[in-house]
Amino acid sequence: MSATDDATSATDDAMNGDPVRAAVVDATGRRGGWDSDIDARMAALESPVRDVLEPSLETLAAADRLTLVPDAHYPFHPSSGMVTDPAVIGSIVSRLERRTDADIAVAGASDERISVARTAEYLGYASLLERFGAEFVDLADESRTEDICTVDGSPVALSVPERLAESTVIVVPSLRPTENGPVAGAMRALAALVDSTADPERVPVAATRVIEPAVSVLDATTAYGGDPAAGNALFAGSASAVDAVASSLLGRSLETDAALKTARGDAGPVTVEGDGVDFERLRERIPDGELPPSDETHPAVSTAYRVYAAVAGDAVPPQLEGGR
Amino acid sequence: MAPTPLLNRLTDSNALSLGILGVGNIGMVHLKSAAAMPGVTVVAAADAVPENRERAERAGASRTYDDYATLLNSEDLDAAVVALPPFLHGEAVERAAEAGVDVFVEKPLARTTDEADELLETARKAGIAIGVDHTLRYQPDMAGVKAAYDEGSVGHVPYASITRLNDGPLGRPPVENAPPSWPLDADAVGGGSLLELGVHCFDVLEWLFGDLRVRDASMGQTLEIDVEDAATVLMEAPETGTTITLHCGSYQWEQLPEVNTRLRLEGVTGTISNQDHLPRNFYAGAAKSALSNVASRLTRDEPDVFGPTFYLQAHYDALADFCDAIREDEQPPVDGADGRRTLALAERAYELAAETDEAADEIDGLETPEVTL
Repeated sequence: MSATDDATSATDDAMNGDPVRAAVVDATGRRGGWDSDIDARMAALESPVRDVLEPSLETLAAADRLTLVPDAHYPFHPSSGMVTDPAVIGSIVSRLERRTDADIAVAGASDERISVARTAEYLGYASLLERFGAEFVDLADESRTEDICTVDGSPVALSVPERLAESTVIVVPSLRPTENGPVAGAMRALAALVDSTADPERVPVAATRVIEPAVSVLDATTAYGGDPAAGNALFAGSASAVDAVASSLLGRSLETDAALKTARGDAGPVTVEGDGVDFERLRERIPDGELPPSDETHPAVSTAYRVYAAVAGDAVPPQLEGGR
Repeated sequence: MAPTPLLNRLTDSNALSLGILGVGNIGMVHLKSAAAMPGVTVVAAADAVPENRERAERAGASRTYDDYATLLNSEDLDAAVVALPPFLHGEAVERAAEAGVDVFVEKPLARTTDEADELLETARKAGIAIGVDHTLRYQPDMAGVKAAYDEGSVGHVPYASITRLNDGPLGRPPVENAPPSWPLDADAVGGGSLLELGVHCFDVLEWLFGDLRVRDASMGQTLEIDVEDAATVLMEAPETGTTITLHCGSYQWEQLPEVNTRLRLEGVTGTISNQDHLPRNFYAGAAKSALSNVASRLTRDEPDVFGPTFYLQAHYDALADFCDAIREDEQPPVDGADGRRTLALAERAYELAAETDEAADEIDGLETPEVTL
């Protein structure tokens, strides 16, 4: 099956030409589209994780250090589809511990809104990783290495956490849009961990080229596209191919995603392989909406309210002050 | 310090001089309410955050302080609004008592009934009044339910239910502000959703049905946090013979102006729902209220402050009632005893939930999982 139909040849990262592997997560008997028992979710993920990682295991087994990068940007409940389900990470770590001798870390980065340690704790990573020999690391605390990468003929300077530059990376995005509309995806998950003053649409491409993730695993067990939807599927492949699949599932066009368009270049349509995944049906089931609207009041509404309040002698609620 | 008679502390002009201790989200609502209130002067506000102090100054606070104790020592106040995190309520009331200033305390009154008892005793000794900001009973939909119930419009009510849900300190996407950590810190707040939202529900339920008895409860956490973000309580109201369930939680995304507050009274001849006492369309209701306020201005009547936003208007009305009571040397309509009562109900619910969990552990021979992600 073909997930995209608007790309042609040439590869942007090492696996660009390879198909995306898909696996169904058995949710038979699951009520309400979500199982609140993380052990039950991890058990259901064991087989699909094994299937999608199998082609990458040789590469992963050769690594001394493995770093998993989930979408853990904020402590939204995993059943919303807005973050990677920690059960997916737990299942991947479990598989890697059985099949590799590498030191394994799960990584995120604190930002101006919230420390990733707090996010990881709320999402349950701290207790989850205690089961394994893995640790959760804050890349904001790590030393960095400077790199320059060429994107579309222009140099892009990046400051990259050493761990990402030096270890073998597995990026595990959720299936959701960004605030600006395009799919969040693997490339933007990596871009969020590097510093750069370059054009924001070039940074995801540059970050992906510099970090060179060994594989990307799209957590489509739950998707968010304006509403959550149980997808019960995993997709694995190169970062750009997986992002193309995610973009297609969320009803986005590659043409409107400058970063993805650049990364895919002339690579052909992405082929999705795997038993049991009805891609078209999945695409129909997953809504193609946006994030909820901001609570920030539109400036015109704030102005109108201030005029009304002045005329009527009413007070302006703090929420409608419009940043005054 | 000897207690000061209430009326002697009012200024000559009879305007109530008010200080606002804490001008974060709800503190700013109180400040703007007070600034628009006839017969009330906001003389000062205090907040540790410089941006909040700047907002307070723009909203009409004559002076601002980075420390509420300094404000209380420096200003000649009749009353103060305590809109600080719960772990500071006791200390703030103590400082207010030393200054002989009546207080309107944001809910929950305290983190525990023990802390509330200390706070109330401090107030009693100092002769200061305590009001508590329990606002559900001031909302027009709740007032509508009470009126219909008291008129006997559905006969005997064997069962009632109340639900209050929001998205708590973590909010929903898109994330616009850094979430404060104290609302999820059990030491700082004493509990989770039950103390944040449930106490409002207890207050409105006792207002409707009289004294409540908690029969059972269950607490839940949808994330691995320190406090519950979901609470369910089974109660009975002996006076009316009503069985009541309460569910509150901070796990549900909220998109203002819509708020998820549901109260249903199941009577013999029908149902009373708060939804029947709200505008069918928030914006149409807001526009109607705005037009009414503009018309009031033309006839020189006072506007309904925050008229287009009923849940903010409820905060205004609660503070206005408190200020009227202070001005008239009367007991605040929602006082410290009311605030303590809601804490006692919450504590009983916590105890019963813990007992239920322990019993389940004994039956299972396993620890009950605390987290259900």
